[in-house]
Amino acid sequence: MRLLSRYNRVTLVTTVVVMLITGFIYYIAINLILINDVDKDLEVEENEVIEYARQNNRLPQVFESNDQQISFYKAEAESVKRHFLDTLYKVTPNPAHRRHHHNGERYESGRGLITSVSAGGQYYKVLIVKSTVETEDLVKIIFFITIGVVLLLLFTLFLINRLLLNRLWQPFHALLKELRIFNVADNKDISRIDTSIDEFKELNQAVTSMSSRVKSDYKDLKTFTENASHELLTPIAVINSKLDSLLQTGDFSQQQSKLLNDLYSSVSRLTRLNQSMLLLVKIENRLVEDKQTINLKTAIEELIIQFEEIFHDKGLIVDFGLTNKELHTSSYLLDILLNNLLGNAIRHNCPGGNIVIRLDEQQLAIKNTGDNTPLQSDHIFTRFHKSSGSEGSGLGLTISKQICENLGFKLSYLFEGNYHTFIVIF
Amino acid sequence: MKILVIEDEKGLRESIEEYFSESGNVCESVSNYQDAIARVNLYRYDCIILDITLPGGNGIDILKNLKERNHADGVLIISAKNSLDDKLEGLDLGADDYLVKPFHLSELRARVSAIIRRKSFSGNNLFQFNELSIDLSAKAVKVKDQQVKLTRKEYALLLYFIANKGKVVSKNAIAEHLWGDGIDMANNFDFIYSHIKNLRKKLLEAGSHDYIQASYGMGYKFTDQ
Repeated sequence: MRLLSRYNRVTLVTTVVVMLITGFIYYIAINLILINDVDKDLEVEENEVIEYARQNNRLPQVFESNDQQISFYKAEAESVKRHFLDTLYKVTPNPAHRRHHHNGERYESGRGLITSVSAGGQYYKVLIVKSTVETEDLVKIIFFITIGVVLLLLFTLFLINRLLLNRLWQPFHALLKELRIFNVADNKDISRIDTSIDEFKELNQAVTSMSSRVKSDYKDLKTFTENASHELLTPIAVINSKLDSLLQTGDFSQQQSKLLNDLYSSVSRLTRLNQSMLLLVKIENRLVEDKQTINLKTAIEELIIQFEEIFHDKGLIVDFGLTNKELHTSSYLLDILLNNLLGNAIRHNCPGGNIVIRLDEQQLAIKNTGDNTPLQSDHIFTRFHKSSGSEGSGLGLTISKQICENLGFKLSYLFEGNYHTFIVIF
Repeated sequence: MKILVIEDEKGLRESIEEYFSESGNVCESVSNYQDAIARVNLYRYDCIILDITLPGGNGIDILKNLKERNHADGVLIISAKNSLDDKLEGLDLGADDYLVKPFHLSELRARVSAIIRRKSFSGNNLFQFNELSIDLSAKAVKVKDQQVKLTRKEYALLLYFIANKGKVVSKNAIAEHLWGDGIDMANNFDFIYSHIKNLRKKLLEAGSHDYIQASYGMGYKFTDQ
């Protein structure tokens, strides 16, 4: 849930609840005041009746008016207890209306006062009723106004939140965008964000210093890898040359030759691993800049000729369909990329398997048979991820991926129809 | 041929010196910048094997020094830095070749031989070895005037063998020479055998001596003894 909607939800719910409660209280208060008012009117009427009865010793003439009715009932002395009550007010329609409505009587809500009066020695119960329709209308109007105000307030709140908060969060979103494209191997730093809000300034500072710390750590690590690999090169070179020298001393038993052979192949693996590490550092540092126009078709054809004997030796059948495709790119990196991809297709193939190479304007696809289980596409590009029994360095695909990133290509893997397929999209 | 090895790493320097020292060859070595400058200003060599990182200075400066004085010595740079810039700079400054450490001694020998051949056979690209004559520009091989048809790789293999005459060349070294770095995709180097067998057969059929011998299952030796 977004912060804004969460905030909106909370403020809206609170506002509505508070408004409802105030509305309710308001309603009760208004109602009370109005009823109080009516009650006062009733009392005035009562006084008039009582006063009249005292002076004239008889009941007053009763006039029916539109909003007030007085009725007298004989009752036993002192049997009536004076009280106010909510009751109904019977509207007797005027004669004009009676023609149309035979049964035209209707009731409105009203407020009554039951009291008593003595006149001419007789005890009467008096019922005075006043219509409260107008009061209710007033309450209704007040209610609608209140509702209107609530709605208006909600709408303004919503609008303000939306406009203002969106603007307020702008620096945050800008920072988020920076973080998303942040690449530890990149040279680009997180840029300063223009904001006057202290919280965002702090966040920006924290993020900037964190990113530069991460970068410098990463750089140290890379320098270390590079230096370590460089330092390793010399002893490897010495081992290699000493092996070559040892070979010249002659007369080896079969056992000794086997040992020597194993040494040779291990040293050459070590060499390749070391070179791959150096290469990776170099590519990540984007130190290779030798852009030139290359015909990819020719390059692949040359590579196929180069590996002809190896295809033949492993009994691999190569099927290639290439269209002319020119690229303006680093030939050094492209060579390594093609070598790696084709090399994998050979190394991980089964004897007598197939290699299919397709090149068109958009993409290069290299497919090979091999194990009938798909590779884990999210792992194969990580460093030192190797299939069991692989004699490779475990860096080939990492290097390939990095090269593709540098050259602006996209490298992906998929497994379809028993073919492991690597696709380079230009 | 007269060769100077400028390399600070003792183990490597000794191996190279030993590999290149044989009858008719002079191989000298120095281990630091000052000695190297002194040596190259005093004597001339067919080929100088030059390490870039040296105590006391940079190998590139030695190369510059040579070129400023118009010395025609062949220069092969050996460097631990497999950096394209270094390579291009070295070649731009007039180095004849560039080899990245680690390397096989046989590869170094083949490269040095190629440099010396280019230098000494200027204008004349014919190279003679006993009854074999090799036209380097046409990449053609003759045995006593009889043309031998070799594939590209067989031709490269023959030159490699001749450069390393009398030495045992490992199968790894041969494979890396012919197929480059891509060779690690082959699980074993048995397919080299068929190449060597073909080359040998073609040479023998043309009336050549049998120069190529298998050596303890580890490699091959090209020898005229």
